[in-house]
Amino acid sequence: MAETTIGLAGNPNCGKTTLFNELTGSNGYVGNWPGVTVEKKQATWRQDKSVTFVDLPGIYSLSPYTPEEVVSRDYIVGERPDAVINLVDVTNLERNLYLTTQLIEAGRPVVVGLNMCDLLKESGDVVDAAALSKRLGVPVIEVSALRNTNLDALVNKAVAAGRAGKVQPGAPCFSPEVEDALGRIAQLISGSCDAHLARWYAIKVFERDAEAVKALHLSSAQLNQAEKIVRAVEESRDDDAESIITSDRYDWIGEVMAACVKKAPKKLSMSEKIDKVVTSRVLGLPIFVAVMFVVYYIAVSTVGDWGTVWANDEVFGEGWELFGMAIPSIPAVVEGWLTAAGASDMVSSLVLDGIVGGVGSVLGFIPQMLVLFMMLAFLEDCGYMSRVAFVMDRLFRRFGLSGKSFIPFLISSGCGVPGVMATKTIENEKDRRMTAMLTTMIPCGAKTPIIALVMGVLIGGADAWWVAPMFYFLGLAAIVVSALMLKKTKMFAGEPAPFVMELPDYHLPALKSWWLHVWERISAYLKKAATIIFAACVIVWFLSSFGFASWEGGDGSFGFLASLPGAPEYSADYSLLAIVAGAIAWIFAPLGADSWQATAASINALIAKENLVSTFGTIYGLGEATEGDPVMWQAFAAMFTDGAGILHAGAMCAFVAFNMLDAPCFAAIGTIRRQMDSPKWFWFAIGYQCVFAWCVGLIINQLWELFVLGNFGAWTVVAFVLLAGMIFQIARPMPKTERSDEKVLAQLA
Amino acid sequence: MAASGQLPLAMVGPDEVARVARVRGDADLRQYLAELGFVEGSEIKVISRAAGDVIVSVKGARLALNRSMASRVTVTL
Repeated sequence: MAETTIGLAGNPNCGKTTLFNELTGSNGYVGNWPGVTVEKKQATWRQDKSVTFVDLPGIYSLSPYTPEEVVSRDYIVGERPDAVINLVDVTNLERNLYLTTQLIEAGRPVVVGLNMCDLLKESGDVVDAAALSKRLGVPVIEVSALRNTNLDALVNKAVAAGRAGKVQPGAPCFSPEVEDALGRIAQLISGSCDAHLARWYAIKVFERDAEAVKALHLSSAQLNQAEKIVRAVEESRDDDAESIITSDRYDWIGEVMAACVKKAPKKLSMSEKIDKVVTSRVLGLPIFVAVMFVVYYIAVSTVGDWGTVWANDEVFGEGWELFGMAIPSIPAVVEGWLTAAGASDMVSSLVLDGIVGGVGSVLGFIPQMLVLFMMLAFLEDCGYMSRVAFVMDRLFRRFGLSGKSFIPFLISSGCGVPGVMATKTIENEKDRRMTAMLTTMIPCGAKTPIIALVMGVLIGGADAWWVAPMFYFLGLAAIVVSALMLKKTKMFAGEPAPFVMELPDYHLPALKSWWLHVWERISAYLKKAATIIFAACVIVWFLSSFGFASWEGGDGSFGFLASLPGAPEYSADYSLLAIVAGAIAWIFAPLGADSWQATAASINALIAKENLVSTFGTIYGLGEATEGDPVMWQAFAAMFTDGAGILHAGAMCAFVAFNMLDAPCFAAIGTIRRQMDSPKWFWFAIGYQCVFAWCVGLIINQLWELFVLGNFGAWTVVAFVLLAGMIFQIARPMPKTERSDEKVLAQLA
Repeated sequence: MAASGQLPLAMVGPDEVARVARVRGDADLRQYLAELGFVEGSEIKVISRAAGDVIVSVKGARLALNRSMASRVTVTL
């Protein structure tokens, strides 16, 4: 049977993603459209593998103003799928039909699916699908993507339309005067394009859509003649051509609505009532804070914590029990295999210390992350998050950030990888880049062991309820300071883009799309754990286990340290890691953390933040000790204690601050690279993160040294200069930008 | 057009119904807002308002606009 390709088009929030997942089981290929960071999803139909669906981005129209729109129209007009399914949110029909009228003109067979008919019934409105179909000139099918009703009928219609290859003429949207002009333009350009695209291009010529018309290679004579026709209509209507087309479309849609929809008497809908409360000036913020408190309490302190303890202490620790049956831990099982297979010390060390230990510590975060992402995805899918973005916009605007930045920040508190990925919903390029750059400063799950470690030294544990919120707050403070500084640079200057966002109706998310949403994020993390972090674990293991036998009595030869003759029990000092870290430790001298151990831990933390704690364990030969272990606290404190026995708490905090704020782990760095889609911006982001983290660490350490320990030096002066520089950068007036305010506004479109 | 009775959308109170008189801004922005339903004459109901940030119902959809955006839409009551 012949292959059939079907494009799925529709407005944002019309249920298209749900439809795509329902039809394909989301088994497909996810990538980007060429040249833009717009996601491209493609997969085959579950019922019939010869049918392929291409999920087009959610758009309001086929104009050339956003990359999503350009991608969609290039696909339909240029790549010519066999048919297009236009999913329409029937509770929002008037708006959705605006896109429908344009899709119908694009020269491919269109089938319209009326989605959310179940919701419509609740409101009491009735849509006459048959009448609508007659007006539009294309098949119209009532479906529910959420409840999987009638979806097969919809696809079968589209496949049939695609195989028949008959293209509808296009809805008669325009006033007689405009229709006449379009007819004449169509005649004018008839030689330059396919017959079934004549109307499409005629409208584009009328709108002066240079991008679309370019493809026609019209002669200047043709263009001049067309221009005359357009001018005449503009003069008689006293309006510009684009507005004429838009308002004619709306007028026609208004007529269609009047003829095909019976509206029930209006009352304040449930969503409107809820919105009145959750977005109100007084209650909006407190409600949000309360919701988030509950989310993090569940994810971090209760359910998620049980899961993490189970994963770390039992599955990867001492084994556990299921219904009275003792189940050994994974390391114990692997150790058994290795012994049975007669593996050498080196192989055992690689597998147990390097791979199982490293990857295990990464997998330990999954339960907590899973719980957090389930709740965040629920809040997103039910519609609450878009309200949060709106409420937070009021606050964030003062710091030069958009309310839309807030969702990535929330997700980053679980893992920076999906956090950075979530920035792609921010339309404005500057806001998007800034958010992708700063979002990993929020402490993620992998940074919590570092927090536990420092709090263990300072107050003897991290169990106090205020510890976690304090670090989230500090992360947010770093973001705000950075945003305020960056906004004053040429690159980011200008007001944040004005905020317009559609607020979908509140609804209970369907289990499956909810889970797919969670899975998308968790799997992003898992993939990194299985690839980058796995490779990194092996490298770290190699660097810290191999070295030169340069100890007293050693022969200077290179090899696996533990097997070299005469190796001391504690051989990490002679490892390659010690050599590399020792060579660059001077960078951290002003931070007071210039021991090679601290540097090595910071290097390892770049690979994965949770490595920081385990690196101490390895270096100090503490074996299985975790961040909750007083032995570990002592070792950590000892590193910042000088010969006279004074604990340099400033240096310790500087070290922690540096590792919280610097470039995130390899996984997140890779994601930033993909998101920025430009090497220049990527290196700027990573560079900024590291330099900013270093400056903050330096300031903390030097101020502590000066005010608490009374030490003054050249670096103290540097600290004050940096501090003054930051304050100046925050306080100075906004530099003039070449872009006018209007241009910035336009970027949003 | 007479300017009397026109005000920015940012100043319309909750539960009030207004009609779009015009939209300020460059062509791209006007077009974008038009696609969202802010065309001359279309009816807008303000659902809630806080310091100029508004949530409105237009063409059956709910949209959130911040003050800077809402002051670009001029309406008549």
